[in-house]
Amino acid sequence: MKCGVRFCGGCNPRFNRRAVLEEIERRFEDIDFVIAVEGVPHDLLLVIGGCTNCCASYEQFDTKQGVLKIWDQDHIDSICDELKKKKNS
Amino acid sequence: MLMTGAQYIESLRKMKTRVYMFGEEVENWVDHPIIRPSINCVAMTYELAQDPEYADLMTAKSNLTGETVNRFTHLHQSTDDLRKKVKMLRLLGQKTASCFQRCVGMDAFNAVFSTTYETDKKYGTNYHENFKNFLKMVQEKDYVVDGAMTDPKGDRGVAPHQQKDPDLFVHIVERRDDGIVVSGAKAHQTGTINSHWHIIMPTQAMKEEDKDYAVSFACPTDAEGMYMIYGRQSCDTRKLEEGADVDLGNPKFGGQEALVVFDNVFIPNEYIFQAGEYDFAGMMVERFAGYHRQSYGGCKVGVGDVLIGAAALAADYNGAQKASHIKDKLIEMTHLNETLYCCGIACSAEGQATQAGNYQIDLLLANVCKQNVTRFPYEIVRLAEDIAGGLMVTMPAESDFKSDLKVGKNGETIGEICNKYFAAAPTCTTEERMRILRFIENICLGSSAVGYRTESLHGAGSPQAQRIMIARQGNIAGKKELAKAIVGIK
Repeated sequence: MKCGVRFCGGCNPRFNRRAVLEEIERRFEDIDFVIAVEGVPHDLLLVIGGCTNCCASYEQFDTKQGVLKIWDQDHIDSICDELKKKKNS
Repeated sequence: MLMTGAQYIESLRKMKTRVYMFGEEVENWVDHPIIRPSINCVAMTYELAQDPEYADLMTAKSNLTGETVNRFTHLHQSTDDLRKKVKMLRLLGQKTASCFQRCVGMDAFNAVFSTTYETDKKYGTNYHENFKNFLKMVQEKDYVVDGAMTDPKGDRGVAPHQQKDPDLFVHIVERRDDGIVVSGAKAHQTGTINSHWHIIMPTQAMKEEDKDYAVSFACPTDAEGMYMIYGRQSCDTRKLEEGADVDLGNPKFGGQEALVVFDNVFIPNEYIFQAGEYDFAGMMVERFAGYHRQSYGGCKVGVGDVLIGAAALAADYNGAQKASHIKDKLIEMTHLNETLYCCGIACSAEGQATQAGNYQIDLLLANVCKQNVTRFPYEIVRLAEDIAGGLMVTMPAESDFKSDLKVGKNGETIGEICNKYFAAAPTCTTEERMRILRFIENICLGSSAVGYRTESLHGAGSPQAQRIMIARQGNIAGKKELAKAIVGIK
């Protein structure tokens, strides 16, 4: 499974966005997390915002199974549950 | 095509920009220790655009070409673009703790784009097409462009055409079939030397007698007849000292200002955006100033973020981090800083489309934003100095801390004595404590105070300029009617 990652621009993040991605990557070694690229198909898109606004643009990316958004590091467990469901669907 | 930071720096070496400092021409200005920190700042605008963690703010899709461009060359297409601009500026402030200089060009693009559209509509000129072609080139090459507005102005009591020396305002001295020749100067120009091109705009609203002063155009920074005289900054010669890495406070980044002189510079027709349409000079000034006053709600907030962090570290190093008054001061600094950001975001969120299609900010809220910027950084600086303590201005030089000269009865060196008496909490080394205190000094009263203090006061217009705009937009008459209606006065 190939999961495109899109970060918000990081103007005033309330947590370490890169560390959150690394934690998710650690839990899903069988998912290929790549920085999202326009014109390239992704199975899933993971949008990582640094605050509740989660203002990252992502409509320009192709995704087969939709978009998951995280804007709080406390959401890691719930995002991982969602990722597991998507992976197994 | 987006450039990397290294490519940007190399592109500057190819230019023949004339730079003077301390009464002499600077041949290799790219590597000059006083100038280089400001070049590093602009290079950061390229570096972050290449980084996926920041690309969403740092890049945008061009409405002119459909290509991905650096946001600093973008025309705002929505209120979302306006908000992202403020966020991008905050980010750059956080990464450099300095003025990164590229926003003036972006603000000029957006002001000139909409003003030329409306000028052409009235006069049938071709300025809008000229400007679009110019901007396409800028976007494609990923150039830095300085937006230059402020004339020296001479005697403030008289109009441009009444000045004893006409060059105190940039003006047209000759009109030819293929273009115009301009003379004059622009003062306090941020990032002028680091820029590939310049956009020149009039400095104020003009009347018919001043129509030769109502002029806007683009020209390359190394145009024939153009040169810069570097503006010096507080503590600037520390950058020339050997081994003064700590004493610099911010060894990598800094700002830059200069006087830009136009000594009979020829401007071809295709780069002219205004040439005598005096009734549109005020529009261009007002729009540029509005965008630029919005900008300060981002960039100064980013620098404030770093200063708050530095003050908190100084408290840690002093072992005072648990004191309630220290915590309260950090809260106050954060409150003031985020209030500035609120204003930047608010004037963006309330933006609207111009006739030309790009978006401009809410003018009242942008002026309120900048008015707060003329005040709050001073209070943030005061609190940072309060937390840091007097040592930030009484500490010996870095060379003392590293000196092997024996001065003690038991053979102690100056370095050992300094390290002994300036040691603080066990969580830091003496050098770390020095570094953070020198950094605070740099922003509060050193070379970066140019950007964080005086530029906050006078950049994008002095406080009175905002108060005039607030008065115009404030609708006091409407507010009187509100009061009358409630108490029953007809």
